[in-house]
Amino acid sequence: MPRIEVDVNKCKACYLCVNACPKKCLGKSKTISKKGYFPAQMEHPENCIGCKMCYMMCPDIAITVIKD
Amino acid sequence: MTEKTLRKGNEALAEGAIRAGARFFAGYPITPQNEVPEYMAAHMADAGGAFVQAESEVAAINMVYGAAATGTRSMTSSSSPGISLKQEGITYLASADLPCLIVNVMRGGPGLGSIGGAQGDYFQATRGGGNGDYHVIVLAPNSVEELGNFPKLGFELAEKYRMPCMILADGILGQMMESMAFNFDPVDPNQLGKFDWAVDICKGERGKSKVFSYKGDNLIADVTERAKRYGLIEETEARFEQRNCEDCDVLLVAYGLSSRACLEAISLAKEAGIKLGLFRPITLWPFPSKQLFELAQKAKAVLTVEQSLGQLVQDVKLAVDGKVPVYLNAYPAGGQPDGEKIVTAAKSCLNGGKEGLFDVREHAEGFTYDCKRNTALGVQGDCKGGK
Repeated sequence: MPRIEVDVNKCKACYLCVNACPKKCLGKSKTISKKGYFPAQMEHPENCIGCKMCYMMCPDIAITVIKD
Repeated sequence: MTEKTLRKGNEALAEGAIRAGARFFAGYPITPQNEVPEYMAAHMADAGGAFVQAESEVAAINMVYGAAATGTRSMTSSSSPGISLKQEGITYLASADLPCLIVNVMRGGPGLGSIGGAQGDYFQATRGGGNGDYHVIVLAPNSVEELGNFPKLGFELAEKYRMPCMILADGILGQMMESMAFNFDPVDPNQLGKFDWAVDICKGERGKSKVFSYKGDNLIADVTERAKRYGLIEETEARFEQRNCEDCDVLLVAYGLSSRACLEAISLAKEAGIKLGLFRPITLWPFPSKQLFELAQKAKAVLTVEQSLGQLVQDVKLAVDGKVPVYLNAYPAGGQPDGEKIVTAAKSCLNGGKEGLFDVREHAEGFTYDCKRNTALGVQGDCKGGK
């Protein structure tokens, strides 16, 4: 099953990935990062299709898509 | 107590308020405080509270009026023009003796002004922009850490004296990020005691009215009682911070963000061989007049540094009471104080110079005003009434 990892130290909480995801898998984290942001996080991993839209959209290269 | 985290001022304030037990927030968007309602929208529901984006500032403050009447820790936030709109609600809250927290993240003024930080609302906050004899407790943070920790202090003071409390921050403080830690554990509002005065469930019967803003024939007694309470607050709750006040040539007086520039000025002046001290009022009302009166007499001159045009300096002059000359170094409507300019002004205080000091009479000297022309912008005005 495809999954993504968000590097919370790179994420600047622009949430472009949240909007880009066609399956609306991503959401906002409730925990603050070292940079003082609430980073994007995977909320519905079961819906992820590994389309890489989030990874393409992320301006900070914070998202890794893993297809096992 | 928490570990240090990097936070934006407005978000630290919002998180601090939720931790302090705020369970009702009503607000209306305005730059530069938008992160406060944004944060509340995302996190208030998780804390078990209510967030309302009201249809206007007036609606927001009146929602807070209603929520405060139930004894809930309730708050609203806005920036200068929005706080002007809230003044009617604030004076009603004061007349009904209800505690609440009002946050003003100041921007330039008057009118719509600008969206940058400024300190032009000093009079509005300390004198009260609403009608009648009332005050609100005004807290002036100068760092993101204080922004995060003052909501708890604000709620406690407001509930202790049953009056609104205002946190007077500014746009720069609200927008900047700093490392900060909360110095208190989250407050559970259910563990706080119930208030006798709070409105509760009427259980199908109409009980006796508890919260009034109209006092009828009792108004004189009511206002007099409140004046005594204000006297008690002025005696006991004045807070301030001092740096090098015991041994200085010029005593700087500044609050909020401009006090940060004063810290830079102190170290710059040290290199130049001038001893500067800093007196920072933390409560603007009650103003720490007695403490300033005593400390000012140890200096040769007092220099007020403010991002407004002669507002704080009036309280400083009242406090110093003519014992030491008081000067003004002003950066109105979004101007930024910096250490070097303050040191220049401090030198002028000592050697009788004029550089860096603002004096209304000197500014008016040789100034001519043409009512048909906007002298500041240099454009033709349309003034039919004037000559």
